[in-house]
Amino acid sequence: MSEVDNILERIQRYPGVIGYIIFSKEGIPIRSTLDSAMTVKYVGLLHQLSMTTRSTVRDIDPQNDLTFLRIRTQKREIMVTADKEYQMIVIQKTTG
Amino acid sequence: MVDPPYLTETETIWLLDIPSVSVSEDSEDAETVKERNNAYTELCKNRQGNDKYVERSMQTFNGALKTKEVECDSIAMVDKAAMSTIWDMYDSFSNKSDASGNTVVSDQGNKADVPDSSSSMRDLNPKSPEQSMFSGSSTQLEKMACVLLVEEEPDHELILQSDKLKQDLAVMERVILANIFQPKLAAYRQLPVIEDCVQMAMGSKNSPSPFLEHLWAFECELTKGRNVTSMTWNKKNPDLLAVGYGQLDFKDHQSGLVCCWSLKNPMWPDRIFHCESGVTALDFSACNANQLAVGMYDGTIAIYDVQAKEQTPIIDSSDCANMHMCPVWQLRWIDHESGLAGEDKGEILISVSADGRICKYLMKLKTPNMTTNRQQWNSTISPLSPGLCFDFHSNDSNIYLAGTDDGYIHKCSYLYDDEFLETYKAHKGPVYKVTWSPFCPDVFLSCSSDWTIQLWRQDLQKPVLCFTSGQKAVYDIMWSPHCATVFGAVSEGKVEIWDLRISSLEPAIVSVTCPGVNPTALLFTSETDCVLVGDSEGKVTVYKLKNLTDGGSTQVETLEDVIQSTLSGQH
Repeated sequence: MSEVDNILERIQRYPGVIGYIIFSKEGIPIRSTLDSAMTVKYVGLLHQLSMTTRSTVRDIDPQNDLTFLRIRTQKREIMVTADKEYQMIVIQKTTG
Repeated sequence: MVDPPYLTETETIWLLDIPSVSVSEDSEDAETVKERNNAYTELCKNRQGNDKYVERSMQTFNGALKTKEVECDSIAMVDKAAMSTIWDMYDSFSNKSDASGNTVVSDQGNKADVPDSSSSMRDLNPKSPEQSMFSGSSTQLEKMACVLLVEEEPDHELILQSDKLKQDLAVMERVILANIFQPKLAAYRQLPVIEDCVQMAMGSKNSPSPFLEHLWAFECELTKGRNVTSMTWNKKNPDLLAVGYGQLDFKDHQSGLVCCWSLKNPMWPDRIFHCESGVTALDFSACNANQLAVGMYDGTIAIYDVQAKEQTPIIDSSDCANMHMCPVWQLRWIDHESGLAGEDKGEILISVSADGRICKYLMKLKTPNMTTNRQQWNSTISPLSPGLCFDFHSNDSNIYLAGTDDGYIHKCSYLYDDEFLETYKAHKGPVYKVTWSPFCPDVFLSCSSDWTIQLWRQDLQKPVLCFTSGQKAVYDIMWSPHCATVFGAVSEGKVEIWDLRISSLEPAIVSVTCPGVNPTALLFTSETDCVLVGDSEGKVTVYKLKNLTDGGSTQVETLEDVIQSTLSGQH
């Protein structure tokens, strides 16, 4: 447990990282470093997006599965790890 | 499992048949139909005044009309929808249980739930929403939902402790760091890099002279303030670097630390091993690439398995007889194909220590407590002078050089214990490092605390070339693995890269470090043109060699020419 905490702490301190959210498969946030309004927004939107992405990936090949989703925008990069039980979002600022 | 359905065709069932009242002109019956039509018109014309036809009329009754009403229950309409994606069908078939139907249903239910749950965080009410898609299965959903409510809390704890989360976190960490360090790593890997605008403005003079470009530094709070004593690359994975931290002097006893850094994570090491005493030597095994041999200040040698996450070494030399009592200054894994009496085949570990002995260790994997069979030969290099470094010849693994504290370099043979083959005396202080050139088999380099670096040829008693720059002891040298004429040296306060094509009187690149910080270790990379420098503050900085003329080939001839010209100049 503390190992996980260590890594999360380190991730939070890396340059450019705005925050992270870990939420369960029902969409309930477990851990978050953003305020609750932003957390709810991100969880709701990205949960649907990752389900749709997973559905797309598996439609192409049912034996394949989604592992990681990365959305790079002008200001931010949103990285989502996709798992059956939980999902984790990290938001980082893009440089240059 | 439901039997696969069979499809058959029934007989045709006629429900409605209204024959047409018109016939196309092209059909076969057209003639007969036209004739009959004509006959009928004739008949109608002839009807008037004809005796064959008589008119009569009839009366019919109209029945009384009565309204009748019927009432019935409204028919409940239900919307039914089903998702049929390829993966859904695949999942249902591969589940093979009668819960497969339920999982399909619950998926749908959850899909309907998600927009609801996003609006209320903790007060999630997963009881079936009114707009459930399956009215029949809403009770099912309720049951599942109640179960869900109970298990919510423990699930979260489980998730946070699961291994999968740790793996995902590791991946995520690397992704984040790749974002941060992407230009530096690209420069490291020699990919074309877009020059920074700032750098363009600064370096507009675009000096053609070679310099070291700072890429990044491996450091974290654990290593701050520690002295880097040794660095080595993993033989199998060229991205893995092991760094040993310890002390070089007798004073300031520190506990030692070995960190395995990966290029993909310059901000936190992948493995951390705490050792009891300072680490002075490191080497990765070539046969078992996950074994790391660590030599320490108190003379113990330990072997760690880098793949496992345990802190304890797999073998320790503390229960060996005749173990070293003094710091182990260098360790090397040597592969002996030509062994004596069969038992030396395979890889052996050789160490040199300050008590003047070079020892070899064989690993024997018998039981979980591996035994090391230790033999010593070369019982003393010289009884009074501690050995500081050694290097085995790359082609002939029986010959090796050993440097000692009194400035002598001895060429010895593995097979012949009693005497040295040759002794090279030129240094006036302890020889810190000897290395054979990776390209010219006769040439080796040595550095010492007498401020000099000497280039030797193995058949000559006197050094061929002597390099000095500055008046500080040279701690570490290394030949470049790409170019035969380039080598790097580290002395107090300076990092120097010498290129013998340019000049043998002064180094091609001199990089002065911050005052108070001394570079203590140097390592070239075999894949790219970068050099790593470890210093006394615990940082391992990665520099890229810029503007050092490439030349294309390994420049072996150039080195030999330089040596020849120097020799002929001397006589």
